[in-house]
Amino acid sequence: MALFITKRLLMALATVLVVAVLAFLLVHAMPGSPGAVSLGAGASQEAIDEVNRRLGWSDPLLVQFFGWLGGAVQGDLGVSLIDGRSVSADLASRLPVTASLAAGATVLSAVLGVLLGVTAAVRGGLADRIVGGICGLAVALPAFWIGIIFVYLFAVQSSVFPATGYVPFEVSPQDWAMSLALPVITLAVGGAAFIARQTRASMLEALQQEHIRTLRATATPTWKILYIHALRYASLPIVAGIALQFIGLFGGSVIAEQLFAMPGLGQAVQNSVSTHDAPSVQGVVVIATVVVVAVNLVLELATKFLDPKLRAS
Amino acid sequence: MIPSVAPAPLQRKNALARFSAHRLFASPAGLAGVIWLAAIVAASLTAPWWLPFKTEDQDFTAVLSGPTAAHWLGTDELGRDLLSRIFAAAAGTLGTSLITVIVGVGLGTVLAMLAAAAGERAEAVISRVTEIMMSLPGTVIILAVIGAVGTNIPLIMAILGVLISAGIYRVMLGQAKSLQSQLYVDAAKVDGVSTLGISLRHVLPGLTNTIVVQSALIFAVGMLIQAGLAFIGFGPPIPQPSWGGMIQGASQHVYDAPWLMVPTGAVLALTVLAANAIGNALGKAPNASASHLPSAAARRQRVKAVSALAVAATAADSDAAPANGHLSVRGLSVGVDGGPRLVTDVSFDVEQGTVLGLVGESGCGKTMTALSLLGLLPSGVAAAGGQILWNGKNLAAATDREMEAIRGREIALISQEPMRALDPMFTVGYQLTSAIRRLRKTGKADARKEALSLLEKVGIVDAERILKTYPHQISGGMAQRVAIALALSGRPRLLVADEPTTALDVTVQAEILSLLRSLVKDTGMSVVMVTHDLGVVADICDNVAVMYAGQVVESGRTANILDSPRHPYTLALLAADPHANSAADMPDRLATISGQVPQPKDWPAGCRFAARCQFAGSACATPVPLLASGSEDGLVRCVKADELAVEGLEWLATEVPTHRVLKIVEKDLA
Repeated sequence: MALFITKRLLMALATVLVVAVLAFLLVHAMPGSPGAVSLGAGASQEAIDEVNRRLGWSDPLLVQFFGWLGGAVQGDLGVSLIDGRSVSADLASRLPVTASLAAGATVLSAVLGVLLGVTAAVRGGLADRIVGGICGLAVALPAFWIGIIFVYLFAVQSSVFPATGYVPFEVSPQDWAMSLALPVITLAVGGAAFIARQTRASMLEALQQEHIRTLRATATPTWKILYIHALRYASLPIVAGIALQFIGLFGGSVIAEQLFAMPGLGQAVQNSVSTHDAPSVQGVVVIATVVVVAVNLVLELATKFLDPKLRAS
Repeated sequence: MIPSVAPAPLQRKNALARFSAHRLFASPAGLAGVIWLAAIVAASLTAPWWLPFKTEDQDFTAVLSGPTAAHWLGTDELGRDLLSRIFAAAAGTLGTSLITVIVGVGLGTVLAMLAAAAGERAEAVISRVTEIMMSLPGTVIILAVIGAVGTNIPLIMAILGVLISAGIYRVMLGQAKSLQSQLYVDAAKVDGVSTLGISLRHVLPGLTNTIVVQSALIFAVGMLIQAGLAFIGFGPPIPQPSWGGMIQGASQHVYDAPWLMVPTGAVLALTVLAANAIGNALGKAPNASASHLPSAAARRQRVKAVSALAVAATAADSDAAPANGHLSVRGLSVGVDGGPRLVTDVSFDVEQGTVLGLVGESGCGKTMTALSLLGLLPSGVAAAGGQILWNGKNLAAATDREMEAIRGREIALISQEPMRALDPMFTVGYQLTSAIRRLRKTGKADARKEALSLLEKVGIVDAERILKTYPHQISGGMAQRVAIALALSGRPRLLVADEPTTALDVTVQAEILSLLRSLVKDTGMSVVMVTHDLGVVADICDNVAVMYAGQVVESGRTANILDSPRHPYTLALLAADPHANSAADMPDRLATISGQVPQPKDWPAGCRFAARCQFAGSACATPVPLLASGSEDGLVRCVKADELAVEGLEWLATEVPTHRVLKIVEKDLA
């Protein structure tokens, strides 16, 4: 198990490094030099060259990369070309927004999805068909479309929730929850449908296992077979599905943040990509990767822990 | 042992036949999906000729209008016709999503075939790389790519395809590996076919259906992501219309013109639904194995069926007097719901403390008969008639609740594969003690003591240690002992054993059999033993019922049946069994039974064995009753039984009846 964890940690580290290189190369391929981006249109060539020289733009790529990496390891991701603010500080203030969004949506998707999936698998018949129909529709409707409809229903028609904006938890926990409600529900619709399908399939597969017959042959009550034994057997693929879903939702938050005007990482990517703000793009790609890889690692270890075969070895 | 029957000639299907198009058109949703996609492709390709307006035509007399005669789907904030813009945008959306499909599914398939062909090391490398790709925040990376290359939609969709290929690889790998390890692939390798040749000729065709399924699903994903990008402002340059961009525009007017959301959203959703429907229709597993626990809906149906059966059974007179530990099966039939019968008119008796063997080839209905005794038939299969009288109570018409009181406590089950019969997620100790607590109503400490003594009873020496293990940590023989201990935990009077030794090594088989024999002696319980091994029958069974094609064809005392079989099928089984022929009179060549057990839907009205019987005649075409065979209480279902007994005929060791040989020769010459 210790070896397994070490291996996974090394792989996670490698993943982040690969992405860091990739991000570095991508921002270097962006049109316009940092000086030109930073000073905007109308700046003299001398001024642009001066900024580029100061940022080390013409140094060899390797030197630049390791310079950036050295800073990044110490938590310094450089400064924005647009407003000169520290990228690390900016992202640090944005991360909680996206994290609460993605975590909230993942938890809601998991709870709803497992409930729906188990219901469909266990009840069968009409309930199964209804859940199947809802899930089919939910994965076909784009999140942004669903989000707008929610805004229309819950913010315009009846002002249950605020339509846009984000209130930090420190300011008011209640308003924080209210401001997260619509974006979280919006993201969770598709996520819950995905997990419901995964759960249904895994439950049905679990119920096809021969040991279910042994349990029935020893008069195990139906609820125990379903919710202790079958669900336990199905939990491995379900947790794996939830991990995948978190990755998807973390990326999907770009759309929710745009739709609900939330100051998260997604908004940062979108802005910095539009303005060719290289250090910001680079920083946000790496931070997003670190978060996703870390959560993925934890959930993967959880799945391994759920499986007696892997736990023992 | 029953001889393994020669497999039916392998039919080589071409790739087109394997891609089961009929499945697509058999599903209403799949058909609707194909029609919608075809319609939208046709409409978007021909758009320049039929669209009522140009995409940029502005009609300021009808800004933000709902559907009107002039503008069928309404107009946007600049008075542009929505119908025209939706269909003008369709070709680009569909076309660029296709790029994602081609790159993603293509790359994923190639990687999977490569990993399957190139051996473990290459597979490990490719799998690692795809794992890394799958754990990346794809959306953020795509946005960074947009930063570098601009909104070059085809290129972005291609890069999206590369990211998605990791998931496709995961889906394809298992299938590609199993195709690669087929015997005919090994044969091709020996023949010197190149690795590439094998991949293209043998592996790729087998993947066709999965490729089509994944393509449809990825097509939908591509459309959704593309629309999402356009929605956040990374779509085709303005004023070119795109679905995501149009929804973005509509979202600005959700306060004053909510209708604007509907047409574009509906077309996008329907197109995604159509692609998903096609994928799901093709991807449905054709023969998913049945659940061992029927769904609530299925259980409700079962209650209805059971009450019908109960009414029928009370009408029939039950001749068996209630006795303790007595099982009497009378005219039992088991059938698929709304399908053929799998077992018809089966009758037998098991006295307390005796062992009955149910013998026959695979597919004769032995297991179905055995499982019906516990009411544990797979879902979709049920007792369809007759009676299972256990101490006078008809179990065939018992509800699941009533059966729950009987299972484990009165009738217990051990099954063929002990490893799969135990729950892999729980320790042996947990499974055993929870069964003991439930079935004997004891406390935790007592249950543990009882579990230890049960394990010792089934011959496990280090019971303490075994209690702490998980099923995967013990051997097959050990697992079968645990399974037997589990079956004994409710002190049953009848044990149903479904081929309990088949999956075990020969030495372990003997140990398990002797364990069962001593359990019968010690506890006085009876056993119904399903087996295809006449050695097992000779070893342990007091009585035998030989089953063929869902019927009992011969039954009686074991000694009588093994010494003087009356039915040609029993005769054939004995002649084909290497163990039944003692070393001294072992023939040069063992007999075989040509052909296969017919499928339930193909059962003839007359003798079901006639097609494979060496003694069949015209008399065999009429239904054959089960009649007394003359030796004690033996019964036999053969019109020629007396004739055969008088003439003392033997089942001959010809491999294939002459008329079949001729047919095969003719075929080869043609």
